[in-house]
Amino acid sequence: MEIRIKGLTRHYYSEGKQIKALDGVDLTIPANKIFTLLGPSGCGKTTLLRCIVGLETPDAGEIYIGDDLVWSSEKGIFVPPENRGLGMVFQTYAIWPHMNVFDNVAYPLQTSKTPKDKIRQQVAKALKFVQLDGFENRPATKLSGGQQQRVALARALVAEPKVILFDEPLSNLDAKLREETRKELRSFLTELKITAIYVTHDRIEALALSDLIAVMRSGKIIEIGDPKKIYFNSDDKFVADFIGRANLIKGKVEKLDGEHAIFASEIGSIVALNSQKIPVGQNAMLCVRPEFIRLAPEQAAEGQNIFSGKMESLIFIGEAYEGEIRIGETLLTTTIEPTENIVEGDTIFISFDPDHCFLLST
Amino acid sequence: MFKKPTLTTTLIVIVGFLTLCPVIMLLLGSFSQDFVSFGQFTTVKYVEAYTDPDFAAILWNTVIFTVGSALVATLLALFLAYVNTRTDLPFKFIFKVIAIVPMMIPHILFSVSWVLLLNPSNGTLNRLLMDLFGLKDALFDIYTLPGMILVEGLLDLPIAYLIIAPAMSAFDVSLEESSKVCGASNLRTLMRVTLPVLRPAILASAILVIVRSLASFAVPSVIGMPGRIYVLSTHIYRNIASGFAADFGKAAAIGMSALAASITLIYIYRYLTSESGKFVTISSRGFKPTLIKLKNAKYPLFVIVGILSFVLIVLPVMVLFYTSMLPYSMVPSAKAFSMMSWNNWVEVLKDPISLLSLKNSLFLGVVGATIGTTLSIFVSYVIVKIRSTASGILESLSFLSFSFPGIVIGVGFMWFFVRTPIYGTLTALLIGYIATYLPYGIRPISSAFVQIHSHLEESSRVCGAGPFYTMRRIVIPLLIPGIVSGWILMASMFLRELTLSVVLSRPGTEVLAVQILHFAEDGLWGKLSALGIIMIFISSLLVILAAVLGNKLTKMEVVNK
Repeated sequence: MEIRIKGLTRHYYSEGKQIKALDGVDLTIPANKIFTLLGPSGCGKTTLLRCIVGLETPDAGEIYIGDDLVWSSEKGIFVPPENRGLGMVFQTYAIWPHMNVFDNVAYPLQTSKTPKDKIRQQVAKALKFVQLDGFENRPATKLSGGQQQRVALARALVAEPKVILFDEPLSNLDAKLREETRKELRSFLTELKITAIYVTHDRIEALALSDLIAVMRSGKIIEIGDPKKIYFNSDDKFVADFIGRANLIKGKVEKLDGEHAIFASEIGSIVALNSQKIPVGQNAMLCVRPEFIRLAPEQAAEGQNIFSGKMESLIFIGEAYEGEIRIGETLLTTTIEPTENIVEGDTIFISFDPDHCFLLST
Repeated sequence: MFKKPTLTTTLIVIVGFLTLCPVIMLLLGSFSQDFVSFGQFTTVKYVEAYTDPDFAAILWNTVIFTVGSALVATLLALFLAYVNTRTDLPFKFIFKVIAIVPMMIPHILFSVSWVLLLNPSNGTLNRLLMDLFGLKDALFDIYTLPGMILVEGLLDLPIAYLIIAPAMSAFDVSLEESSKVCGASNLRTLMRVTLPVLRPAILASAILVIVRSLASFAVPSVIGMPGRIYVLSTHIYRNIASGFAADFGKAAAIGMSALAASITLIYIYRYLTSESGKFVTISSRGFKPTLIKLKNAKYPLFVIVGILSFVLIVLPVMVLFYTSMLPYSMVPSAKAFSMMSWNNWVEVLKDPISLLSLKNSLFLGVVGATIGTTLSIFVSYVIVKIRSTASGILESLSFLSFSFPGIVIGVGFMWFFVRTPIYGTLTALLIGYIATYLPYGIRPISSAFVQIHSHLEESSRVCGAGPFYTMRRIVIPLLIPGIVSGWILMASMFLRELTLSVVLSRPGTEVLAVQILHFAEDGLWGKLSALGIIMIFISSLLVILAAVLGNKLTKMEVVNK
């Protein structure tokens, strides 16, 4: 089911100051995709999610779920959360401690007066889906964090909603379990024909799970795109910096060359992607991620996008070296193969792949 | 669900009246000559109260009594908490019993039982020791300051234990381990690391015991007054209980200094407990501390703990029951057992005033706790779920009465009630009880509210449940344990209430504790003991009944499939 949001605005007052949690958000969330709202804390992503569910009321704007208008400030429409037919997994899981697993999962069906046989069937199916079959009579308080998370998922899915929402559901798990659950969640969600809206501040989670990512900042959506677009060729400096580690180099566009441009930077001329078509003569920013800065053999010293610099620091972190290279005033972070034979202080040559460094307007 | 601002305002008015009315009336009363000339400003009562030549001695007694009790209670609590959390002593369930069960025995009965054991003329224990060692004089005299301190200290031990034990078990053991790695012995570690780190909890417990013993009336009246040792609370009582010459103005003037001392101490207590959060490092790693192997010290220590719990729980009930069966005090002997009968019981159950006091106390316990709990539910809801300036005011208001000594509040309320038609009625007692013991209801219920994370309600809404269905299936079932324990606490407090009642109770509105005090003053120990056992029985029954009920109600949700 598609979700459309128009001009959604939500203000808070905190210590006499007005804070815009949502600042005129326009957004269409396509049906049956995993759609992630990503952003730093306080950017409004959770507020947006809670407005969609109906736990918070916006100040202005409209929300459509499918063809139903569930919120409109102008027409005075507010459909309460219980009538929106959504499923949701909370950050705390919100498993009711006074019920067992069965009652927790059966709850959405009990509220809709489903016959008991049907409830039993549906609950069994949902629990099987999240691989918790046989846990029906376990008290909710006797579940591990990962199990609680699955019960919450089973409860959100049991009534077969068309839309399911997740509010940072993995942030309470430890690192290893988080990684496993992320994979499982991805396979669960691709198996179902369901629209999933997922809120997180964790960029790796967003990249790994999503079909589409919307990056938010200060109550606004800055950029929407699939994970590769966002990572490799973002349109926005903030997004580029937020989604992964990035070296940002200042300079000016010198010459256009099809998709690419020649960029006069503080460390020299660089050929880079220019998908935003920044015109010649304009100041811009070049973004290159550490993993795309490669060591170049010495004999290629004269080629395109090759620079020489000094290895300023080198830290071995197992799967790679994390290094800092100084070129003039500029310091670039890079990851280097753990097998390379270099030490701090060496003069080295590096190259940027023109397709993996991109220009951003400043 | 509610119009939130109006609910908060209404509650502020109700709770504000309950807590501030007696204080304001006390203040105004202290500047008045008597009930009739209320409002005509005079300082004569202050002059009278504080130029009294006895006053310095009373103040000194009060200081010795409160500080001494704090010392006894805190040291014992420290010992018990340490032994419980840090050593491999057997039968640890005993500590739970020590911490909870004494609350079931009303303070006045506990004090009486010690009088029966250790009074110099015919105390059972004294007589036994005299016979045993062929002494001419009694070995102990309970009617002394040390006697009062011992009994009050034992009475306040559970409170001190409940503050110190959690701090002791939340203590980050690595602090101790690092001391041992540095080469310090167990004892040195205890003295140099454990105790200093626990200092805020120890101080907090000592201060709370001082506040409690300052407000205490049972021990000073049953043990202190016969020995002519007066402290502030009995000094106030003396001024209002002397028949037609009752001087409520002077009582109010004296009460002001008790109130001021109590509020100051509670302020320090709150400061310390908020500080202690920074001090005691709570380890989240969940490591159990390695228990110290007691080896040979195990059995002597166990005997000490055993004697302590015997003295705290079994002995008082035993002595009371024994006394209730005898026509007059005598040492356990064949003759004593042959003279045992139910006469005292029969007399008490035929005594119209005892029966009236039983009826009144039951009424106050059940009705008072029900009203008090209901009020506490609303107050807790506002304090926990509506976070605003107004709810902050309500919170401070509702915990204020915690620091008010009961007898002082009683005097304050007296100044108010004599101006209303409810003077001398059970309603007056009911209002006074609820005002004084509101924090006991609010604390368990508000912590039950805190436990209900807003997500638990919200997820019910998203699951398709309306607000009322959510209330019925999520909020109420989760609240019930808190409500039940709030109700039990209030009901058992009301059933045994003494300090407020000695001021407010009038002919016709006698309550159990006051009737027991009258029996004690008249030396009717047999009747007293019979009524006392009935009182303990009812309050224990209440606790058990309410616990069973609460258990059933919480389980219902699970079974309800």
